[in-house]
Amino acid sequence: MYDMNKQETAVTQKEIKFSARDVQVYYGDAHAIKDVSVELEDKTVTAFIGPSGCGKSSFLRCLNRMNDTIDICRVEGDIKLDGEDIYHKAVDPVQLRARVGMVFQKPNPFPKSIYDNVAYGPRIHGLARTKADLDEIVEKALRRGAIWDEVKDRLSAPGTGLSGGQQQRLCIARAVATEPEVLLMDEPCSALDPIATAQVEELIDELRKSYSLVIVTHSMQQAARVSQKTAFFHLGSLVEYGETAQIFTNPVDERTESYITGRIG
Amino acid sequence: MPALWLLLILILLGVIGYVVGRARAVRSAGGNVSDLHSLPNHYGSFVALSVVVPALTVMLIWLLAQPLVLNAIVSTDFPVVAIPENASVDLVMSDVRRIAEGLDKAEAQGVLDQSPLNTIADDAGALRGMLAGVGVALGADVTPEVLSASQSYRALAASGQGMMTGLVLLVALVGFAYAIRRTHKEFRARNVVEAGIKTLLIFAASIAILTTIGIVLSLIFNTLHFFRLHPASDFFQGLVWAPSFGGGSELGVLPLLWGTLYISLIALIVAVPVGLFAAIYLSEYATPGVRAFAKPLIEILAGIPTIVYGLFALLTVGPMLMSVFGRDGLGWMQAGTAVITAGLVMGIMLIPFVSSLSDDIINAVPQSLRDGSYALGSTQSETIRQVVLPAALPGIVGAILLAASRAIGETMIVVLGAGAAARLDLNPFEAMTTVTAKIVSQLTGDADFASPEALVAFALGMTLFVITLALNVVALMIVRTYREQYE
Ligand SMILES: Nc1ncnc2c1ncn2[C@@H]1O[C@H](COP(=O)(O)OP(=O)(O)O)[C@@H](O)[C@H]1O
Ligand SMILES: [Mg+2]
Repeated sequence: MYDMNKQETAVTQKEIKFSARDVQVYYGDAHAIKDVSVELEDKTVTAFIGPSGCGKSSFLRCLNRMNDTIDICRVEGDIKLDGEDIYHKAVDPVQLRARVGMVFQKPNPFPKSIYDNVAYGPRIHGLARTKADLDEIVEKALRRGAIWDEVKDRLSAPGTGLSGGQQQRLCIARAVATEPEVLLMDEPCSALDPIATAQVEELIDELRKSYSLVIVTHSMQQAARVSQKTAFFHLGSLVEYGETAQIFTNPVDERTESYITGRIG
Repeated sequence: MPALWLLLILILLGVIGYVVGRARAVRSAGGNVSDLHSLPNHYGSFVALSVVVPALTVMLIWLLAQPLVLNAIVSTDFPVVAIPENASVDLVMSDVRRIAEGLDKAEAQGVLDQSPLNTIADDAGALRGMLAGVGVALGADVTPEVLSASQSYRALAASGQGMMTGLVLLVALVGFAYAIRRTHKEFRARNVVEAGIKTLLIFAASIAILTTIGIVLSLIFNTLHFFRLHPASDFFQGLVWAPSFGGGSELGVLPLLWGTLYISLIALIVAVPVGLFAAIYLSEYATPGVRAFAKPLIEILAGIPTIVYGLFALLTVGPMLMSVFGRDGLGWMQAGTAVITAGLVMGIMLIPFVSSLSDDIINAVPQSLRDGSYALGSTQSETIRQVVLPAALPGIVGAILLAASRAIGETMIVVLGAGAAARLDLNPFEAMTTVTAKIVSQLTGDADFASPEALVAFALGMTLFVITLALNVVALMIVRTYREQYE
């Protein structure tokens, strides 16, 4: 299930990574996502923006089937990853989540050492044969998470003892350690101070070279800084989707314009 | 019940004080409530508190002190020659108090017949019969000295009661007058009431603390008293438990401690896996419907009185084990009462304890950790084993220690299920006994409470207390550090 050749496959043209058609999400009787259809590109940062409660997180969680862990949640429609339906009966959500990593709003390091936090994914997926392999994977992930220099001397210290910004970068390192193809980030900077935010944004830009990224954000400036594509959600619908520059300078829909100019939200 | 009447009068006075105080405060502000320093209610409460609290305090102290004072007065007047040879003043005085109480009751029920009191010298049995008629049984016939002592006891008690009523009412009225005089719109009633309430709460807290200290002190002193009568080395190092009230007992605690620990260990071996797995199922796998139904059902187990578990051990589990391991089966067991019987049943008793504590602790593990683990592509059981349980581990260890301290203190199940033989043995199919069961057996029956064989109960109680206290302290420390981790 793990594709070692993916670096070679997507070198030139931007491919479609996720393609969603007529997605509906229900929480019990509440209809949270209505008829969303969107195509997300590989090696691109896509930003989801929109007022609170408009369904950004709900849609994001459809992409790695995290909604399955919520009892009352029901997803309908059609979502394809590399052309394969991820809600097909034959697809194991556990394997899907190894390919589609996720970083949460609040940093959630496990109450384990920094090393064990990062090694968690590789261990359960059997990515390392030897201790040396694992050490290498952990170091590489921590470097990609731009936190290696800060923690290399205390890998056995608890991950929960780091500062908020460090914890979030540790969580990003933990997510990239399983070598996912897509990384979903749900407001990854909302609990961080400006300096930590800048570090995470830099990291996102760096990660774009190898992954497809989706980032939910409440900050218009952040969306403009880090993303190439932007999707604007409103009341459970996808209102507008396009190049970030175009959305911010020349939105087509008047709801988009009101939101980015601060009139709704 | 004059004390009850007095209490009602005080409460009534308090209510009146509240109304009057409130009205007076409002009047002092010319009906303009916003001119008052405090709310009108504060003035009312101030008067009510001033009436009730000092008066109640006096009443309480009086009620506590009166019996002591009466005892002292009556017993100094009691003729020394009239004390029987084999009794002490204390014993005689307890007779005196019982007779006084009996006469009070007889009078209240209207059966008090003056004739036997006058003819006591001729007919000693008549008084005893009359008292037995009102429910006060006496061990011996009443001597004239004891009777006259109890009569003077009654007289003193009655006048004491009168004096108390007067004094309490006086204090209440003085409080009333004082509080009314101070009630004025400038008076800071709120601050006084707040301070008064705080004092009341402190008082309640100190009662709780003082009783605890009192119990511990009495344990310590009686234990020391025991060690003066019996060598401590035998108690702590003796391998034999063989009390005999004739003297020459061997009172080694080790066989009892061994029994306690062995039975508790078996109980934990039963309760911890079952309770923990039940908790994991309930908190991680069960649907809300199943949970709403199963959780209370398991917790019903916790509401069963332990004597019922004891019956269950003696009458159900013991015979069942006998049919498998007894003479008709494997032949390992001699009787139904054995370590394994008590251990199994105690384990069942502890299951809801372990499961509901663990359930709370597992639920306290933040959902974000589970989400983090799922998002990395781990399965539910991997998430539970590698993230949820390690995160909950300190709390679960705390829960297990609390369960252990309950097992160690458990009495009824071992009294009925484990047998009575104090034994140092490894065979779980043998009867053994525990510290708690021996405390019961040392104090039941016709024990002389001054003998080392009875006083040893205090030393045993002290031993238990120290062990469970240590377990509880460690458990609470672990649970607390665990809580802080997520706050
Ligand atoms: N676990 C849940 N249970 C019930 N309703 C939910 C749940 N999560 C989200 N919702 C509802 O779905 C809607 C969209 O929420 P969400 O996707 O979290 O919005 P956003 O991330 O854009 O703020 C909201 O109305 C919210 O109340
Ligand atoms: Mg959200």
